[in-house]
Amino acid sequence: MSEVLLKVKHLATEFDTEQGIARALDDISFEVKAGETLGIVGESGCGKSVTSLSIMRLLPKPAGNIVNGEVNFKGQDLVNLPADDMHNIRGNRIAMIFQEPMTALNPVYRISRQLNETLALHNPGMSKDDIQQASIDMLKRVGIPAPERRMKEYPHQLSGGMRQRVMIAIALLCNPEILIADEPTTALDVTIQAQILKLLKDLQKETGMSIIFITHDLGVIAEVCDRVLVMYGGRIIEQADIFTLFDKPSHPYTRGLLNAIPRLEKPAKETLSTIPGMVPSLFDFPPGCRFQNRCEYVQTRCEQETPDLEMHGNDTHQVRCFRFKELVNL
Amino acid sequence: MTQYFIRRLLLIVPTFIGITILVFVITRFVPGGPIERMIAEAQQASMQSGGMTQSSGNGIGAATLDQDQIKQLEEYYGFDKPVLVSYWDWLVKVVHFDLGVSTRYSDPVWDTIKERLPISAFYGILTMLITYFISIPLGYMKAVRHNSHFDHVSSIVVFIGYAIPSYVVGIILLVVFASNLEWFPMGGFYGDEFEDMDSKLEQVADVFYHAALPLLAYVAGSFAVMTFMMKNSLMDNLAADYVRTAIAKGIPFKKAITRHAMRNSLIPIATHFGNNISVIIGGSFLIEKIFNIDGLGLLGYESIVERDYPIVLGVLVISAILQLFGNILSDICVAAVDPRVQFR
Ligand SMILES: Nc1ncnc2c1ncn2[C@@H]1O[C@H](COP(=O)(O)OP(=O)(O)O)[C@@H](O)[C@H]1O
Ligand code: SF4
Ligand SMILES: [Mg+2]
Repeated sequence: MSEVLLKVKHLATEFDTEQGIARALDDISFEVKAGETLGIVGESGCGKSVTSLSIMRLLPKPAGNIVNGEVNFKGQDLVNLPADDMHNIRGNRIAMIFQEPMTALNPVYRISRQLNETLALHNPGMSKDDIQQASIDMLKRVGIPAPERRMKEYPHQLSGGMRQRVMIAIALLCNPEILIADEPTTALDVTIQAQILKLLKDLQKETGMSIIFITHDLGVIAEVCDRVLVMYGGRIIEQADIFTLFDKPSHPYTRGLLNAIPRLEKPAKETLSTIPGMVPSLFDFPPGCRFQNRCEYVQTRCEQETPDLEMHGNDTHQVRCFRFKELVNL
Repeated sequence: MTQYFIRRLLLIVPTFIGITILVFVITRFVPGGPIERMIAEAQQASMQSGGMTQSSGNGIGAATLDQDQIKQLEEYYGFDKPVLVSYWDWLVKVVHFDLGVSTRYSDPVWDTIKERLPISAFYGILTMLITYFISIPLGYMKAVRHNSHFDHVSSIVVFIGYAIPSYVVGIILLVVFASNLEWFPMGGFYGDEFEDMDSKLEQVADVFYHAALPLLAYVAGSFAVMTFMMKNSLMDNLAADYVRTAIAKGIPFKKAITRHAMRNSLIPIATHFGNNISVIIGGSFLIEKIFNIDGLGLLGYESIVERDYPIVLGVLVISAILQLFGNILSDICVAAVDPRVQFR
């Protein structure tokens, strides 16, 4: 059993908005083990990005606040860590890449500056030449051709895929223990997406880092992840290793998601099934199970009580639904 | 980069020709010119049909000019030649700084402008420096402390500065600090004893002593827009993805602002720079009038009142050229802060 690096416990995050307080995350608990890739999947707006931003303490201020819970990184609670200690962790021990490579780099500075800056920040003793060389080596490792020349260029001179590689290079410069990748391939076209996924897997093999991989695309999850969290309405509704999840999806929402993917092995006559209904806004969630208005198995109890995340079968599989045991046979 | 500037400099030629054509068209309205002749003819025709008698033969505008001066204008602007020929002749004269002769002073127009330009430029450049010096840090602080007490209180001050026209500020300053308290002189670019002062230092001090109130009036009129521009621009950039990237790298928030957001938020300010410089160097005739400063603005205003056409048009040409260079300067500034610009 490998070491647990990150333990998120009962995390709750709220946004102070004009319409009132919106609870974007509710009772989020999960672990990240050394060397593994944990996927977080769910429809747009379910709280994937807010989860990653909460871990990194990058929530937009002053609106976004962690109101409950703990983010335990190797014994330190990041939620209450002094700002200076947090600066030492960000980009150094936990790094992050984002969805939009087109806007994630500063348009007015050369690539070199944006790489070197990170190294200089976390390695105060390092010489300028060593920093420059390390940055060039890193660009080479993420598969950027002619890295010396690229160092002198500005972000607008690079394609989306190249920029995302630069982002990955920046994130990996300091050998982080955890890389959080928030939809890193969503904005890229399919071939580039496949290249970036392969690159991340290769780099993980080299470095042994853990990856938290966020996406709304179960196909991508299947390709890169060891374990998966499924989120809905700011809550984790199912958590399992990748085989269990695809084999025995147990929450009605997860089953709906999996049915929504077109599959080769299924006869083509079957029309693409999608989950009916809409995700309510954060202000309109009814009490009880947040999926109730779209669930075909809903009962009175679901409208009154909130189901807990319960163990199901083996100890890595957890489901948040009152009826998942009955549903196994449906 | 160099290529961009070469392209930019080459653009001066067509722009200059465009500007001069515009001014040239305006010269056709000068007394003795074709437009006025047409008006006079039309008037005569209507008066004849109305059966009324009219003594003046030269129309309205020329009332204050004598026959010699009209002749001079006709000659300088070439009213008797075909349009293209007279445009070319005039253009050649303009390029050689021959802007004609003032009908009021009988001095060459360029000499008069040359005398006034440095005075307006002195105020203009100082106003701009002070404005940037106030607006950029103030806008920065307002953005960083958005919605704080400091932000609200300073907004009130900025808004008052925006709402009161600068000449009103000028009059208030003059009444309070010059007339009542007598802390500052009533006006002028320098005092009567200026020529007799022994040291350069004393002279410089005298100029600034005279400049204090008008500068305040100028700055009051310009810092509001600049401050809000800086604040909004920085606010936009604080929410930008690349700032979040910077913080995710481990850079503290304050440093992410100064190192990353600041330069990006200066881009709109730099774009504005060229407009400012030409407007400001032109001077505000109202402030120049209030403080009795012999600048370009006042010169233009008085010339209009006195119908000194060569000066009015000369000031117009010079302002247009200043605008042209202001724009180029502005482009250079933008290119200096924004590397994307050369590829547009
Ligand atoms: N700055 C914010 N202010 C208010 N609400 C926000 C803000 N950011 C995110 N949210 C809300 O939090 C929820 C989760 O958003 P997010 O984590 O970005 O979704 P996704 O799973 O697509 O990444 C959404 O309902 C969104 O409306
Ligand atoms: S708890 Fe009830 S409403 Fe919620 S998913 Fe399970 S069956 Fe459906
Ligand atoms: Mg997201």
